[in-house]
Amino acid sequence: MALEKGKGEDWDLVITPKNKLLWLDIKEIVQYKDLLFLLIRRDFVSVYKQTILGPLWFVFQPIVSTIMYMFVFGSIAKMGTDGIPQPLFYFTGNMLWTFFSNTLTKCQDTFNANAGLFGKVYFPRFTIPISYTVNSFFTFLIQFAFLTIFYVFYLISGTAVTPTWWIFLTPVLILQTALLGMGIGILISALTTKYRDLRQLVSFGLGILMYATPVVYPLSNVPGQWKLLFYLNPMTPVFEMFRYAFLGKGMHNIWMWSASLIATLLIFWLGVVTFNHNEKTFIDVI
Amino acid sequence: MDTVVRVEHLNKEYRLGVIGNGSLYRDIQSWIAKIRHKEDPWTEIGAESRVGRRGRFMALDDVSFEVGRGERLGIVGRNGAGKSTLLKIMSQITAPTGGCIKIRGKIASLLEVGTGFHPELTGRENIYLNGAILGMHKSEIDKKFDEIVAFSEIGGEFIDTPVKRYSSGMFVRLAFAVAAHLESDILIADEVLAVGDSRFQEKSLGAMKAASENQGRTILFVSHGMGALKQLCQKGILLEHGRLIDAGPMDDIATKYEKLLQGA
Repeated sequence: MALEKGKGEDWDLVITPKNKLLWLDIKEIVQYKDLLFLLIRRDFVSVYKQTILGPLWFVFQPIVSTIMYMFVFGSIAKMGTDGIPQPLFYFTGNMLWTFFSNTLTKCQDTFNANAGLFGKVYFPRFTIPISYTVNSFFTFLIQFAFLTIFYVFYLISGTAVTPTWWIFLTPVLILQTALLGMGIGILISALTTKYRDLRQLVSFGLGILMYATPVVYPLSNVPGQWKLLFYLNPMTPVFEMFRYAFLGKGMHNIWMWSASLIATLLIFWLGVVTFNHNEKTFIDVI
Repeated sequence: MDTVVRVEHLNKEYRLGVIGNGSLYRDIQSWIAKIRHKEDPWTEIGAESRVGRRGRFMALDDVSFEVGRGERLGIVGRNGAGKSTLLKIMSQITAPTGGCIKIRGKIASLLEVGTGFHPELTGRENIYLNGAILGMHKSEIDKKFDEIVAFSEIGGEFIDTPVKRYSSGMFVRLAFAVAAHLESDILIADEVLAVGDSRFQEKSLGAMKAASENQGRTILFVSHGMGALKQLCQKGILLEHGRLIDAGPMDDIATKYEKLLQGA
């Protein structure tokens, strides 16, 4: 469906068979900004209503994961951390990965989880993945604030962690993670309405991808001949550079990063196009 | 009269089974056929009947009509005649396969009462959320909040209770109250009055009629209840097998529809 304004006669809305949108209708999303705020609020509030720990869940989970990682990958498998204190290393990895995988997992379910709503009322469908992404971002922020506390503690106690100027690139890295998670998520969400079995692949694929990304080990541990494969993963530079920015160790190659940024934007755009295409037809398919 | 909705040669075709299978195998078959420049086994149109040889189904077949500003149009037809499909296309939920609809003014559609209500949220929170889903701004809802609560007949003490604790009657009344206060030029409603007791139904019909008469709101209304239709609508259209078979004053259309039902 194309929304054409004022063609020939002064119609406000013309509904035709094809949707030719190749990018986001940002104007329309802005029009529904109140809805966006409420959706974000709804998801955020309903998560911890009727729970004991409430918002504390957001830090409880990464702490436990970090301890497990220290035990399994640090003590048993004895994988190095480039000399970075283990708690900082694993917490950072887990935090970034959780942000990425949460965003992806939520977004890929957009159409299935909201089929009832989408079948009954029109509003810009893109508000849903945006609200999911903002929500995972809030979780990330809480964890990031927590990380900052014990990061400062390490800095003061004089351990070998040195922040670099790259720290100012952190917002871009976070945005990249969000776009990538969302891009892959909406791409899959559009495909799963047609091919249900893709959903099974998502959790499986994410599990595999986590080990193919320097989450629980630094890239410097990877043997030379395999490094090229790692560079193909657009998430690799995000983890490495994030650690380099805060902890002073990690790959920081501006060309690698640029390539991964371009890949991220491409994936996101592809996701948007597929999502738009699917938006108007999925209800007949699901 | 000023036309606010113009439906031109609208078609909606469904492919039975093919998409429903969600099968990659069949899609690959289609691709291979395309590559080899052969006939795609899944895109042939069966022309003889409504359900074609290859499992094509015309939910709407060349439907055209117009609605003027402030008119209240009743859409009637038997189950599967295409009423809901028509409203869904008009509400931009699904795309037509042919033809077009031109609309002037802000459109709001109410295909089901209470869509987007979240059980964990309170009545107050849900009013805002539901209003926003239906396209209202926060400031509009702020202005109408008290009116909505009053219309729903839910006591003030319950408005901050999660809606999962509401009785189904309360839930429906609240949901309808939000929808009834939508500010739109065109309202599309599908069987929404099947909920609530008869007194509340009466009140809701009255509110819809008043909005149309006083503010010039156009209403497209689908119902199986001829009483409600005759009470609300001046004009009607009759759909059968996806085709528009008659249009005219609501009373005539209702009579024809009843005849059609008896004939079947």
